[in-house]
Amino acid sequence: METNLVIEGFKFMGLGMGTVFLFLIILIVMMNFMSTIVNKFFPEPQPNETTRANTQNKNKKVVAAVTAAIKHHRS
Amino acid sequence: MKLFVLKLLALLFISFGTLHASAAPVSAESMSAHQEETYQTKPFSEMVGGFLKSTGVNAILNPDPNEVGAHGEEMSDFHKSWGRVLMILVTFLLFYLAIKKGFEPLLLLPIAFGGLLANIPVANIAGAHGFLGVIYNMGLSNEMFPILIFMGVGAMTDFGPLLSNPKTALLGGAAQFGIFGTLVGAVALSQMGFVDFTLQQASAISIIGGADGPTSIFIATKLAPELLGAIAVASYSYMAMVPIIQPPIMKALTTDAERKIKMTTLRHVSRLEKLVFPVMVLVLAIAVLPASTPLIGAFMFGNFLKESGVVERLNDTLQNALINTVTIFLGLGVGSKLAANEFLVPDTMFIMALGIVAFSVGTASGVIMAKIMNLFPGHKVNPLIGSAGVSAVPMAARVSNKVGMEYDRTNMLLMHAMGPNVAGVIGSAVAAGVLISLFQ
Repeated sequence: METNLVIEGFKFMGLGMGTVFLFLIILIVMMNFMSTIVNKFFPEPQPNETTRANTQNKNKKVVAAVTAAIKHHRS
Repeated sequence: MKLFVLKLLALLFISFGTLHASAAPVSAESMSAHQEETYQTKPFSEMVGGFLKSTGVNAILNPDPNEVGAHGEEMSDFHKSWGRVLMILVTFLLFYLAIKKGFEPLLLLPIAFGGLLANIPVANIAGAHGFLGVIYNMGLSNEMFPILIFMGVGAMTDFGPLLSNPKTALLGGAAQFGIFGTLVGAVALSQMGFVDFTLQQASAISIIGGADGPTSIFIATKLAPELLGAIAVASYSYMAMVPIIQPPIMKALTTDAERKIKMTTLRHVSRLEKLVFPVMVLVLAIAVLPASTPLIGAFMFGNFLKESGVVERLNDTLQNALINTVTIFLGLGVGSKLAANEFLVPDTMFIMALGIVAFSVGTASGVIMAKIMNLFPGHKVNPLIGSAGVSAVPMAARVSNKVGMEYDRTNMLLMHAMGPNVAGVIGSAVAAGVLISLFQ
């Protein structure tokens, strides 16, 4: 009997997509698990609040300036 | 002169006559006598005539019936003559695309120039002893260069966006549908009798849908080296055309409201997470699919060096010097496969056509996957980042960002799209591993 290549192709597809998704789903579970563990037991030292707020303010200012510049450029 | 030859002949006669003479000196002496005889003084006119016969113009106008291809195969007269001229014109077109249109010039230029050199008659640069042939045998036929490129790409990749939103990895998986969808398409075409692709060849072609140059080259050299030139050219030229191919598909599959979805800000990812990640992926690959570990292992090696933060020099070499050097060799080596007798075949046309189908299907399935994910509770995903699931780092992510900005200027999707983008690289490496394992 002649082998039906199209059916072979679909078999490849099933196996291939199955493996890709299996791999990535396990990876997602592992990533979530790993992140939980790392953040619980080995948290990074947080920069103190005031500097953070400062940089955020600065960022906002930068964003505002950039947006204004873009608007000006486009008008 | 005559005396010398006579002496040699006498010596030969004696040695033939002597029973104890060994065979080796005989052949050596007869050789030297032969060499003495072949060079005869010729009149100048004959010399000029002989020289004219060795010119490129003559080689193209009167193809040499005894000439064989780079691998000793028969060539038709067309491939020896006007086919070469045509291919040289094709490489000029590639030059134009690379320089003027900016189509992945880093690879397309070396590939095109390699193609130009490979189509030179007489010189046989792509043959086993020409320098292109040497480069090909040095690093392409044994799949070395794509692996080295993967190390460099690993060192350039930041998995932060993926780690802060892991579920976007599914988008990178869905886009691999482009690979397997095209595989079915390619075998269907050969079933219907349009072309004659084997399953190996069909698999090598379909990997173009992974939109990952090194993976395509890796698989092509492993499964169908005869199609390497066409597959590499298709792969890189479509990667360059991502900004043209993807947006219409993305817009057709999404509604206006979906395109304006704002995604939650990415959380900060700690250094330790980034350091553990490459090892984790590799361990998973070892457990699930060892056939994919050459690609994933090299990729994660590069990334691990980068994230370790203690080998800045090695990291710098991987990202710059090594990847640049290998890119030159890879390009020239692939270019050697643009010889007329290997490229100017009907298969090439089908590969080009199937390649674009692979790209489009991959893009579409990424977008559709994002829409499916939105049916479930949880943070909504903007479907525009689904298209970034085809690897093409970082071009595909930039396209998502650009299309998103067209509808809402404040909607920055770039970092969100990098997640599926790098997951796409892992996804296509896994898909490649599956294909390899199926043919072992």
